[in-house]
Amino acid sequence: MFDQYECDGLFDEMFIDRHTPRPHYASVASRLSAMGSEAFNRRVRMADMTFRNQGITFTVYSDTRGVEKIFPFDLIPRIIPGDEWTLIERGLTQRITALNLFCQDIYHDQRILKEGIIPPELIYGAKMFRREMFHVNVPKNIYIHICGTDLIRGKDGKYYVLEDNGRTPSGVSYVLENRSVMKRVFPALFSAYKVRAIEDYPYNLLQTLKYVAPQHAQDNPTIAILTPGIYNSAYFEHSFLARQMGVELVEGRDLIVENSFVYMRTTAGLRRVDVIYRRLDDDFLDPLCFRHDSALGVAGLMNAYRMGNVALVNAVGTGVADDKAIYPFVPDMIKFYMGQEAIIPNVPTYICARPDDMKYTLENLDKLVVKATNESGGYGMLMGHQSTKAEQDAFAVKIKEDPRGFIAQPVVELSQHPSLIGDAFEGRRIDLRPYILYGEKPIIMPGGLTRVALRRGSLVVNSSQGGGSKDTWVLDEEDAPVASPLPEGTETLVTT
Amino acid sequence: MSQLGTTNAFNLNAPARPMLARDADSMYWMSRYVERAEHISRVLLVNSNVLTDVGDLTPHLQQKQWQSILTIFRLNELKPSDKPVGQQVVQYMTFNEENPNSLLNCILRARENARSIRENISAEMWENLNTLYWSIVSDDARARFEDSSDTFYRAIMSGSMLFQALTDQTLAHDQRWHFTQLAKYLERIDVTSRVIETKFTILRSAEAMLEAPIRNIHWMAVLRSCCSIEAYRKAYVGDMDPMRVASFLILRRDFPRSIRYAVSKAHDAMAAIRRDVSPGVIDAAERVLGRLDAQLEYAEMSEILLEGLPAYLQKMQTSIDDAAIEVQKAYFLH
Repeated sequence: MFDQYECDGLFDEMFIDRHTPRPHYASVASRLSAMGSEAFNRRVRMADMTFRNQGITFTVYSDTRGVEKIFPFDLIPRIIPGDEWTLIERGLTQRITALNLFCQDIYHDQRILKEGIIPPELIYGAKMFRREMFHVNVPKNIYIHICGTDLIRGKDGKYYVLEDNGRTPSGVSYVLENRSVMKRVFPALFSAYKVRAIEDYPYNLLQTLKYVAPQHAQDNPTIAILTPGIYNSAYFEHSFLARQMGVELVEGRDLIVENSFVYMRTTAGLRRVDVIYRRLDDDFLDPLCFRHDSALGVAGLMNAYRMGNVALVNAVGTGVADDKAIYPFVPDMIKFYMGQEAIIPNVPTYICARPDDMKYTLENLDKLVVKATNESGGYGMLMGHQSTKAEQDAFAVKIKEDPRGFIAQPVVELSQHPSLIGDAFEGRRIDLRPYILYGEKPIIMPGGLTRVALRRGSLVVNSSQGGGSKDTWVLDEEDAPVASPLPEGTETLVTT
Repeated sequence: MSQLGTTNAFNLNAPARPMLARDADSMYWMSRYVERAEHISRVLLVNSNVLTDVGDLTPHLQQKQWQSILTIFRLNELKPSDKPVGQQVVQYMTFNEENPNSLLNCILRARENARSIRENISAEMWENLNTLYWSIVSDDARARFEDSSDTFYRAIMSGSMLFQALTDQTLAHDQRWHFTQLAKYLERIDVTSRVIETKFTILRSAEAMLEAPIRNIHWMAVLRSCCSIEAYRKAYVGDMDPMRVASFLILRRDFPRSIRYAVSKAHDAMAAIRRDVSPGVIDAAERVLGRLDAQLEYAEMSEILLEGLPAYLQKMQTSIDDAAIEVQKAYFLH
């Protein structure tokens, strides 16, 4: 099945060259080759059927109604050796700590602006900067309780941070469901490795939520997940997490604020809610404070929040930390707040708000990836090397109109991993979104969501753009040896 | 000290967790639609079969038989068309997207409601309902239906019954479960009373024209439509008497498909919910069902016939509607 496999000059997660699998993949490679494509495809169908019958789906807004789809599941696991993971874990712990210190600083003393580390105009120009949060003390000074930081590997095999998702990162339910389906369809393969368990994530999430409960409810807080409703693309996940933790799943219309406390409407009248894990953007939370036309939120919620009567997770205003124009400064934050060098580097980034960077970006539109700073999910992006002249011109106009709205990065040739395409394996680009919880202490789920760009040659892995996912195995330390995967310096990054 | 060491850790009588009003609403409708889908399947299946069995029925009576299905499910008459009325009704009741009470829409809504309370029901219930949903929306559904509508309807019926069984066996019998029971039995009372009412009206008017064997087939079909033929035969050893059929379906105490039984169960569920929410105060919904329950407890068939069967059943349907409205007011609209 691997006969025709090509590494294409990229970093391949599984193979050193077309005949030699990396040590930690040797067992997978031999078992899959022995299995043959027919048996493999049977398992693919079994997995698809399981996903469909369990309703593990997401909604795509391609037309007015929205279509429920299965998130394509790629059955070959992505394997990360234990020592490689240890480094990633250290890097992510460092990063989430710095991002939280940054939020606390930005909404209080703003030392980082006063000392000239970050230009103030970038902060005040951020759509997600919330003046309403200025001098508001949030429980335990934690802003980003749940973070999904996207990692990629370049041609050099080193890990880089592509972006942080510090508002309402999604996808963790697929990680857990992928694992459970994987165990069902590939039990033998799974038990051939010592894979670190991820099943305690819902428990850890619940502890994280309980940790920030208001004083009055410390013993037995009522916790709810706030969802925009069943038509939201991530609804499956909201419901999944509520089920796994045994907490309430509420919509805005189920909640009401009275005397600055939040209550839910039950069959027996109103019941107080103490912690809300909201899966709703700031904009929609409270029509009295943010968007007046939002019917998804709860009038008066911000007031209850500011009084400390209810905890919101993540805090309001964290969008300032995962803004794409602020991203280039994260290594500076780490140095500023923690006196450390970033363990996992960023991808080099041009900030169009800076005249020099904008000039460079406009001159190199055919080589760069341009991203809108206030978009996510792969929307509002220009892939320079794959774009037409007309598309580039259109972007040039947009950039000149609103320089603050764009950043540019060199094209990173993401690492590839074999996927079964038809009857044979072909390399497809992947990334990794680990999930970080920050409560009493940071807890990082071993692994995360490996997303696959299933279209040949595509570098876009987002599910809204035709991406799939893989189960991600982090091995126990002693399971396989590998050299340091982290770069010496960003200059080694190879780009096209 | 670990939590398990404290006296309260094993408090098995801890008060049930309150339930979101919206979730109660969805729980109720999920259950009603699943029950309705089962009735629709059965009524369509039985009607097709009986018309095959009796062969050359007058077009007028055939027309009436098919129209009665629309009446049972509170739908307006269809516009005249070139197609045979049977085919037209079957299509309209099975796959039609505009018909709010088509099989397709019932399953769709049951599943949509279930999806919005996925965390309140069990994985088994959800998977069962979701599988049922995919079986009716999948690409090959219509082809399978053309191959054998009989098999198709039977699969929906057993899917629905499996759902009821899973509801009983995988859900705690707390407020959530009581809402499913209330909904299921209210729906059953509603449909059963309508089946009896419409079929009796048609058959009584045509009785003179029908020969005895044919007449029996029709009465058997009424029992079949209510899933009651076998239980009836055991009770009356095969004797098809219209008044016995009616009294069996309305007053039989120990049979889950009778109105008497369903009313008593609906009343129980309602009382359990009310006790949970406001102990000591009987509310309007419970009052309506309690009265109906008591009335059936002491009812006699001769009295019902004196009042007139259709009038009696219509009164019952009004009570059921009232109860449903009161439930909504008291529990869903907080």
